[in-house]
Amino acid sequence: MARAGVKKTVVKKVPAQERLDTSKIQIKKFDAAAVDKFRADKNFNYNEAQDDTSLWTRFWAWVWDKLFGWLKYSRYGGTILEYVLIAAAVGLLIYVVSKSLDIDPIKLWRGEARKVDMPYSESLENIHEISFDSEIEKAIAQNNYRLAVRLLYLKCLKQLSDTQLIQWQIDKTNAAYIHELTDPGQQQTFKLITRQFEYVWYGNFGIDKQAFSNIDALFQDFKKQLS
Amino acid sequence: MEEDEIFEQRTDLSKLSAAVDQIKTTLAKIIVGQQDSIDLLIAGILADGHILIEGVPGVAKTLTAKLLARSIDAKYSRIQFTPDLMPSDILGTSVFNPKTTDFEFKRGPIFGNIVLIDEINRAPAKTQSALFEVMEERQLTIDGQSYKMDEPFIVLATQNPVEHEGTYRLPEAQLDRFLFKIEVKYPSLDEEIAIITQQHQHKTIDQLHDIKPVLSGQEIISLRQQVKAFHVEDKLIVYVAKLINESRNNKSLFLGGSPRASLAIINAAKALAAIRGRDFVTPEDIIYVAAPVLRHRIMLTPEKEMEGVTPDDVVAQLIQKIEIPR
Repeated sequence: MARAGVKKTVVKKVPAQERLDTSKIQIKKFDAAAVDKFRADKNFNYNEAQDDTSLWTRFWAWVWDKLFGWLKYSRYGGTILEYVLIAAAVGLLIYVVSKSLDIDPIKLWRGEARKVDMPYSESLENIHEISFDSEIEKAIAQNNYRLAVRLLYLKCLKQLSDTQLIQWQIDKTNAAYIHELTDPGQQQTFKLITRQFEYVWYGNFGIDKQAFSNIDALFQDFKKQLS
Repeated sequence: MEEDEIFEQRTDLSKLSAAVDQIKTTLAKIIVGQQDSIDLLIAGILADGHILIEGVPGVAKTLTAKLLARSIDAKYSRIQFTPDLMPSDILGTSVFNPKTTDFEFKRGPIFGNIVLIDEINRAPAKTQSALFEVMEERQLTIDGQSYKMDEPFIVLATQNPVEHEGTYRLPEAQLDRFLFKIEVKYPSLDEEIAIITQQHQHKTIDQLHDIKPVLSGQEIISLRQQVKAFHVEDKLIVYVAKLINESRNNKSLFLGGSPRASLAIINAAKALAAIRGRDFVTPEDIIYVAAPVLRHRIMLTPEKEMEGVTPDDVVAQLIQKIEIPR
């Protein structure tokens, strides 16, 4: 039953008519020349290629096939191999770039901080390798009394170390050396010259020729005490 | 012959020395022993730092902090940290005033010159983090309004070791804000006898009320400025930098010292030099303050912690590795 307001469409049946294809049929033949041309073209040669690889190459191919051949036949083999190769290439690239920037990629991976060699303008000399007398003379000649006091003090430490009165170690403080001296007289004098050295070297107190000669006198007194 | 005969003092340290002596004398009347702790407390105040005092219950941590606070004439406030303490209990809160029909900020106990936080690690991390801004920047921001702390602003906090019941580990960010962590040990036998004798004769209680301030807040500010200008030889700066750098590469440590730790060592060493009557720093000053500055900032690896290695052991190792500059 048709709803109100909707027009009813009537489809009339038309009797079927017979139609005949009367066009003329043209039979196409293969172009022999074109076929020969394609035959001559190497790109269309589907014959199995002759194996002209060397024995060495074939050996490695066999090894690779034994190692990774299973990947070719597995469902995701090709994809996995592809990703592995891409990852390896990216890894290699990162390694080369980081090396060129002087960054250790392995330490970076482990999260270790890079060790920085800090600039140290005045190297910490080994007191056993300094030619003290000539260096002190040189410092005095240049009116560098601060350096001269420092060298006098280092020379003094060397003498104490040579006479086994102290055990020289890089981490020991001046106070530690004072405590190592067992002779009260030596300890007192060394304490005094240590103070002079500290005021001049760590305190950056100005020192003139007169002050230097006073300090030098203290060092000479201590030298006499040691001998 | 004394050094004064060769070098004239370039900085007048007489006032500072007198103040330090007075504080030491005052504290020594009540506190038995603990000379190193007292030196570090004074150094901390001169270096404009906050101080964390750690020790087992009953070793006079709070008493020491209270006495130090009393010896300074400045606004003192005390906060007892408890597990249910809220940030607003410390900082303050905005309260509605019906008369003005507006909110008014009611300042919390943190607004003082010397703030004693007792048992700081009894409060959880939420409450601890309320102290971050005020300890580092000396200001508070609440409801978009910043409040500057009055100078001097010193936080003296006490805590029990973290292994004890009912304590929380302080966040690293907060620990880094303390200049020193002073560890108060048990007294020696002689000291213990002296403590018992004093208490037995009720001397301590009487003397506690007699403590008079020896320094004003303004004087502390002026002494701090003097200490700040002290000389530090370039090689000693390199020495400190090497020490901290070594801590970052040390295999026993999970976390090394921060640049704030380097600055803390320099500032603390200057303050210690002042206490020792010098206006310049020596390697001894640096070594003396290295452990109290670093022990709460560095973190041991779990393996080392299980082996029973302490942060002080590692600091000693670090010092052994670096050559004393001469």
